[in-house]
Amino acid sequence: MNPGSQPIKSRRWRYGDFLRRALFLTALGAITGAANAACPPATTDGTTITRGEITLAWRPLQVDAFLKSGRIPMARHFALEVQLCDKNGVSTAQLVKADASMPAHKHGMNYRPTIKPLGNGRFRVDGMMFHMAGQWQLAFEVQAGKEITRLTHDVQAD
Amino acid sequence: MTFRRTEHHRSRRVLATLLFLVAPAAAAEPDGFSASELERIASHGPWPTEWLRDAGNRVSANPAAIHLGQRLFFEPRLSANGRVACATCHDPARGFQDGRTTARGLVDGTRNTPGLLNVRHQRWFGWDGGHDNLWSASLRPILDRGEMSGSAARTATLLRGSATLACQYRKAFGKAPAATDPELLVNVAKAIAAWQETLVSPPTPFDRFRDALERKDLAAAALYPAAAQRGLKIFLGRGQCSTCHAGPLFTNGEFGDIGVPFFIKPTGVDPGRQGGVKRLLASPYNLLGTHNDDATRRNATGTQYLRPEHRNFGEFKVPTLRNLTLTAPYMHNGTLATLRDVVRHYSELDEDRLHADGERILKPLNLSEAESADLVAFLESLSPDAAPPAPAKPPAVAACR
Ligand code: HEC
Ligand code: HEC
Repeated sequence: MNPGSQPIKSRRWRYGDFLRRALFLTALGAITGAANAACPPATTDGTTITRGEITLAWRPLQVDAFLKSGRIPMARHFALEVQLCDKNGVSTAQLVKADASMPAHKHGMNYRPTIKPLGNGRFRVDGMMFHMAGQWQLAFEVQAGKEITRLTHDVQAD
Repeated sequence: MTFRRTEHHRSRRVLATLLFLVAPAAAAEPDGFSASELERIASHGPWPTEWLRDAGNRVSANPAAIHLGQRLFFEPRLSANGRVACATCHDPARGFQDGRTTARGLVDGTRNTPGLLNVRHQRWFGWDGGHDNLWSASLRPILDRGEMSGSAARTATLLRGSATLACQYRKAFGKAPAATDPELLVNVAKAIAAWQETLVSPPTPFDRFRDALERKDLAAAALYPAAAQRGLKIFLGRGQCSTCHAGPLFTNGEFGDIGVPFFIKPTGVDPGRQGGVKRLLASPYNLLGTHNDDATRRNATGTQYLRPEHRNFGEFKVPTLRNLTLTAPYMHNGTLATLRDVVRHYSELDEDRLHADGERILKPLNLSEAESADLVAFLESLSPDAAPPAPAKPPAVAACR
């Protein structure tokens, strides 16, 4: 999926390869997006943020046997499911970064999350934890070609 | 997070108003609690809080292992000089702590002995979180040169010398204790962990207040002293204490720097969490290693995703605030003798001592005498008001007498 991770033989090859992939993925995205209506995101996909072309929906997943509700648990690990959409439906962009910080306290999380592509514009982010009550800012970076879009969302943890 | 509220909101606000109308005598004019304060109060319970057996310890909740663990916890012959047991420092009469500034085993240590009540709920163990599970935190002191300086050979001899201990070991682990078994010490530590998991402190005056508010039983809530109610308000509000001291255990289980000096006399320094992360990742007994009995490794999330940061230097674990009346002195180096001293520390906080990138939540609170006394009264209400009961007797194990 990610053209940057291919072994590079020449610039021209890389460019051509990228175009081919982009065309293929756009077509695929259009088809799958239409087929299973992952986009635009449904309310069950969680909170929606839009920036430029990209619409991102995120929802917390509970990874802890104790937690039942759909709330982000305080000071416990949780995961996120992220759906990327654009005007064509499912976006072919990649979620390259997911993180969170407390701007007022000038610190981030004590954990470094990982991102796993699930296909169809969906990603799973593992290793999140809001370890303090207060205002957190979720920050996502989405890469389409060379362009990186940063999307943020404020969340109150209590 | 903030989704759930609205309906609760209204009833709680009404409750808050009622509470102080109904109980003017007990509550000498304390302000009412706001809806969000009431929600915070609720989040510090219920107590005891839910617990699931430790998937990483295959003898967690195993009766034979609990018996064995209890015996070994009080057993000085695990140590090199035959005189130091876990209970030497973790005294049941003092909330499983020793009352000393810093611990004394075979030699003098540099850190205060933490109490062990409710230890089963922790994510990280040790003031620096150098362990990610209870059994490896229990193995450390057995081997530590300064604490017990024990060995597999010594432990095997001890177990084989007692028919009861050998029987319980066999029942728990399905084989005889052998010094050549590389799992012997890990197994012993897992048994001691299984016993420590049974150490749970009883509900406190705060818990009864919190539960009464949940039940909307205003008469019962009014029994909670007015000073503690005022102290609770400072704890939740101006003090921002519950930002770190959150949830039923009054800790978020993570680390912070509150400006307690980390110098060790005469020239040393305690790197706190920074050293803990190093120790943890280097340990063969962490949850990423082969001794973790949880094949899914789901219990290793914290270690797997850990993000070391510069700010970890001088950070220490946010301790639980339950049972404080049993566990003086306070802080990682035991330098604060009383809860008064702790409150004075937060009240007169020396901001120059905090990391440049430290928690910006912490500001000197400049509490008045009366406010300080209220905050102390609240902290005291997080301990049982009667003498803590003796640890529960382990369940019976047939056939090991
Ligand atoms: C010499 C005194 C001493 C002895 C003996 C001792 N401990 Fe400790 N214990 C301590 C100190 C000090 C700490 C804090 C260590 C740190 O911060 O790294 C501690 C920490 C712990 C912790 C982590 C608690 C927490 O809240 O983080 C556990 C669990 C524990 N000890 C269990 C045991 C067991 C089990 C034994 C016997 C096998 C034992 N200890 C023997 C002094 C002692
Ligand atoms: C930034 C997070 C944070 C905040 C906010 C905070 N604490 Fe603490 N607290 C800690 C940490 C970390 C320690 C241990 C520090 C050490 O040992 O160096 C601690 C230690 C304590 C202790 C000693 C407990 C023991 O067993 O040694 C008490 C009591 C306490 N805090 C009460 C309070 C009160 C009351 C407030 C509000 C005025 C408060 N804390 C605010 C993080 C915090």
